Amino acid sequence: MTLTPTLRRWWPAAALLLATTVCFALGGVLDNGTLDLGVTLLCYLAIAQAWNILAGFGGLVSLGSAAFVATGGYAAALLLVHTGLSWPLAVAAAPVAAMLLALLLSAALLRLRGDYFSIGTLAIAIALQALIRNWDWAGGASGVTLPVDAVPSGGNLYQIAVLVAALAMALTLYARHSAFGLRLAAIRDNEPAAAGLGVAVRRHQLAALLPAGAITGLAGAVIAFQFVVISPDSVASVSWSLNAVLMAVVGGMGTVLGPLLGVAVVYYGLTRELQSQQTLSLVIEGILLIAIVRFAPQGVWPLLCRATRRLLGPRPGSGRPAADSGKETETAPPGTEPLAVDLA
Amino acid sequence: MSLDVLAAGILAGGLYALIGLGISLVFGVLGLMNLAHGELVIGGAYLASLLVVDAGWDPLAALPLAMAAMALIAYPLQRYLLTPLLRGSKSAPLVATFGLSLLAQALFQAAFGTHPKALPASYADTGLSVLGMRVQTVYVIAFGLTIVLCAATHLVLTRTRAGSAVRAASADPDTAAVLGIDVNRVYAMTFAGAAALAAAGGVLTGVAQSFTPNSGLPLLLTGFAVMALAGIGSVGGVLMAGVALGVLQSVSVGLFGGGWRDVVVYLAFFLVLAVRPQGLFRKAHAG
Repeated sequence: MTLTPTLRRWWPAAALLLATTVCFALGGVLDNGTLDLGVTLLCYLAIAQAWNILAGFGGLVSLGSAAFVATGGYAAALLLVHTGLSWPLAVAAAPVAAMLLALLLSAALLRLRGDYFSIGTLAIAIALQALIRNWDWAGGASGVTLPVDAVPSGGNLYQIAVLVAALAMALTLYARHSAFGLRLAAIRDNEPAAAGLGVAVRRHQLAALLPAGAITGLAGAVIAFQFVVISPDSVASVSWSLNAVLMAVVGGMGTVLGPLLGVAVVYYGLTRELQSQQTLSLVIEGILLIAIVRFAPQGVWPLLCRATRRLLGPRPGSGRPAADSGKETETAPPGTEPLAVDLA
Repeated sequence: MSLDVLAAGILAGGLYALIGLGISLVFGVLGLMNLAHGELVIGGAYLASLLVVDAGWDPLAALPLAMAAMALIAYPLQRYLLTPLLRGSKSAPLVATFGLSLLAQALFQAAFGTHPKALPASYADTGLSVLGMRVQTVYVIAFGLTIVLCAATHLVLTRTRAGSAVRAASADPDTAAVLGIDVNRVYAMTFAGAAALAAAGGVLTGVAQSFTPNSGLPLLLTGFAVMALAGIGSVGGVLMAGVALGVLQSVSVGLFGGGWRDVVVYLAFFLVLAVRPQGLFRKAHAG
């Protein structure tokens, strides 16, 4: 089957729409345990994908996801507890607060190059955690308890999580396929050259930082609703930054579907299997991160794509014409990794 | 605000300088942001605790052994894991050291448990009068040792053949390699040296206060703050930046209370980054 240009262009969006609809509809069917698991996975996906937009496409390797999770979570929680607003307004406030934080910090952060950006974001995450600990109005070190009847739970919370994750996926698709995304990647690959060609570097980086922060903040609000009791050690923990990096890097940073795979691999392969053994889990996560950057720096998803292509594509020397499934390879320019590029 | 507070800040700053010196050395020579430096510090403290807590040694006697042990652990880590990564993608070494940091924290937990540990010594809690100011003895010792180690680092970098090789590899690794310098070995030696400095800082930190497997991260950020203030390439600058940070912290604790000691350091760090990132971070020759 050969895809027409229009179809080729729009099928990722159509697939996302379909997947979102199916996942959303499942909210009325699944049992509570599965829904809770779904919320966890979808929040991880949103945070990893936000990190991916910033680091994978924008080249800004952040270690500060936790700061935005905490800002979103605390913004929603404090509004509910102190003002008695309804939860939709609290959810809406989370990305606004996270974006304000991003905007506030961007003046300093976007002046930093390369590794300095990473250290700066790490410092912000730690500073914010320490600030919340000392902030009595926000519950200090012991945290805040959300009013249980005022927050959505079960199927409703799951459906919110589906929408948040879908938004993250949609933005990643946009970053992958739009002219904006190309300019962003140009800055990532060679900033002076991109600037020389007239790309407004700061403005593009800010345009990646703000939505990434907003999505992470939204996920933070969902996480706060799921946890009900939030504290600096839960929503502001550095482990949120770690998981974002780990999941996206393991799956494949700079690809659309890599983080999806990364969330599944890391969560099912590690976090859940080793829930009773926190230490061992941390050991394996550390080793995995090192092994991936050492031996498969592109991540698992591009590797899988290449393996699939080799299996499906024509074998050298076999003399047989390409099989039907090999068609996709032919349309791609030589020297690239067609499947990885098409799907990624 | 009494002079005691000021003195305590200056002395505590010595420890920060020691931790910042290793970070600054690794970044200046290798261009590597080592996110596992805090774990090198805490690792030194845990290694010393084997001798101090279990065998009853004095922490100062255990200090050289801890330094040597950390250097031996660090050398192959740089040679066979991190150096190959330096030639790969830009974010790979950073992510790898992040992984190392997690791995080390988990290993500390498995080997030593999560409860706080400290290195007991006769001088851990006693006071001392210096020029009429009351200070903790351990900080005086730590400050003296920091000066010695900073001076030794400076002399090794400027007066020895090995130091010349390090400075050459820092200035231009390709040319240095052409001239017959084994750059990979120089990198590994530098990293091992930084690890030894970190271990020394760890032992002294362990005497002054208790530590847990997760204590490395705040120390890492303090070290980065020192480097941000000092810029790259001057041992004396690192010492002054450490002292400045110690005084800032000590004064803010005196003004706002103990909970704010770390917040102030992180905010100062961030402000320095915001105001003069290029100027403070311009890469110069180490030494």
